[in-house]
Amino acid sequence: MSNPAADPQPVEDVQGDGRWMSLHHAYMLEGKEREPEVVFLGDSIFQQLQQTEIWHEMFEPMHCLNFSIGGDQTQHLLWRIQNGEVDSVQPKVLVLLVGTNNHGHTAQQVTGGIMEIISVLTNKHPQAQLVVMSLLPRGEKPNPLREKFATINKSLEMQLTEIPTATFLGVDPTIFYKSGTEEIGRQDMFDYLHLTKLGYQKLCEPLLEEIQSLLKDFVKVESTSTETSSMAGELASDQP
Amino acid sequence: MVLSQRQKDELNKAISDYLGANGFHTAQEHFQKEASLSGEMEKKYSGLLEKKWTSVIRLQKRVMDLEAKLAEAEKEVNSGAPTRDRRSPSEWIPRPPERYTLSGHRSPITKVVIHPVFALMVSASEDATIKVWDYETGDYERTLKGHTDSVQDIAFDNTGKLLASCSADMTLKLWDFQGFECLKTMYGHDHNVSSITFMPNGDFIVSSSRDKTIKMWEVATGYCVKTYSGHREWVRMVRVNQDGSLLASCSNDQTLRVWVVSTKECKMELREHEHVVECLAWAPEAAAPAITEASNMDSKVKIPGPFLASGSRDKTIKFWDVGTGLCLFTLIGHDNWVRGLVFHVGGKYLLSASDDKTLRIWDIANKRNHKTLQAHNHFVTSLDMHKSSPYVVTGSVDQTVKVWECR
Repeated sequence: MSNPAADPQPVEDVQGDGRWMSLHHAYMLEGKEREPEVVFLGDSIFQQLQQTEIWHEMFEPMHCLNFSIGGDQTQHLLWRIQNGEVDSVQPKVLVLLVGTNNHGHTAQQVTGGIMEIISVLTNKHPQAQLVVMSLLPRGEKPNPLREKFATINKSLEMQLTEIPTATFLGVDPTIFYKSGTEEIGRQDMFDYLHLTKLGYQKLCEPLLEEIQSLLKDFVKVESTSTETSSMAGELASDQP
Repeated sequence: MVLSQRQKDELNKAISDYLGANGFHTAQEHFQKEASLSGEMEKKYSGLLEKKWTSVIRLQKRVMDLEAKLAEAEKEVNSGAPTRDRRSPSEWIPRPPERYTLSGHRSPITKVVIHPVFALMVSASEDATIKVWDYETGDYERTLKGHTDSVQDIAFDNTGKLLASCSADMTLKLWDFQGFECLKTMYGHDHNVSSITFMPNGDFIVSSSRDKTIKMWEVATGYCVKTYSGHREWVRMVRVNQDGSLLASCSNDQTLRVWVVSTKECKMELREHEHVVECLAWAPEAAAPAITEASNMDSKVKIPGPFLASGSRDKTIKFWDVGTGLCLFTLIGHDNWVRGLVFHVGGKYLLSASDDKTLRIWDIANKRNHKTLQAHNHFVTSLDMHKSSPYVVTGSVDQTVKVWECR
């Protein structure tokens, strides 16, 4: 009984520009060039994080690399890591968020896909700590997908207690709800799926804390507000 | 000058108002006819032309005032440091803002080095090229192409006639820095070559690699003549001491090693860093008094030395006495990996570059962070300081090179 969500597959290049494969190669090169302490793996939700000030101000200083591709389902990410994407890096922490795009698959299948990714990662990097993030709620109003994700998250949380190097990072879905409702606001998710600057701030607060404590390393990070990018030279002082 | 229709209308009305208000009634009448304006005039046009006329002058005066203010502010910033004519080579340190920001590389800068003779500097990049710049004028001079992967380190011989480079393509290259041609390509390392330096006499080159070895190469023939093995991991950097008798290297195995050049023997292993040791520098003679003072020892008791400084991903800088193999003291202050170290010619200061995006100047005798410059928008990967002119250069992952003037 094969699980399509746990069967590694490259994404079919339906548009014909080969971007997915190009990105896979770019990530492999980047991994070789840099020496990341943290590697992010996921779909568009992590990929777009890379374009935010939060990434630049908070994650980059911790030597994070982000190997995420928009639209990826579990089986696609599985293919990438089985085909060299994390082979030339030696991260201390791996962060995983994938599964929201597995439309045709049941909760059980998606969970199986994520667990398969986790097992490949822990085999390749037994020394690394693995942070598995819960799937985020999506859609303006309560819908079957949100229920499916709740099932997946619950089952991930249970199965991950058996893996000592893995941590389940449950993100409380209600932080994205308008107060007193179960509706998601566009100020957090501009298309009821992808995050805005505000949405990323909510998501990243617990994540940063988790990564920092895993790295046992508190790189001084300024404030979460993103207007602090300093002008070179301006802040020079005579004191440390 | 092109005005929009609305602006033309406003101007015409303002002119008409001016003519009327100043008693040029015939001219106003003719003008109104030619410009097809109605006799009625809204109140807002009264005196408008004169207002525009005076406001230009008022703005000019304002600009002049602001410029004077700016000049004053600049003077104030500068007076915090000695002026250009009163600076002394043993005391001067880089001051913000940077004199030039040089862009051109298409990937992070891995290394910057100042030419020993001319007002030139070179930068190496992950874009596989080396670029030459004039640090006095900020002009781009040329690009040296040949490596096929990230260029990791570059070094001049004492005359500045030869440039050596090494790359992740596993080769070393020797360049004629007068004709800008590649003279030799040297093969022998089995992995990324991370660091390169000339022996003081200029006859040999020393390189270190991710293949865990250090190799010595004869410049004349391009042959590898010696291999130093012992590090358990990637060797990040290798540097030779002033008289050419010792090599110091640092590694991902978190140690530094000191090697006897002639016998290939590993004289000592220095361990105390808690992460990859990224960089090191031999202290010049001039720094010995400050290092002795910082080591809390009676300054009459001379510590024989020689001394080494090392920078690590554990965010610290450590000073070592190679005579005894002891760590003398540690400088704490950087908030991220320490990537580059260079001693100030005067011996009083050490300069460091870090992934916390700063360039720091350390007062060695007092073990104190003397000054911090917010140097770049991303990790600062490398720095160099001129031996006699007041210049410091830095390179960054932000793909720029900056030139800082010292005062």
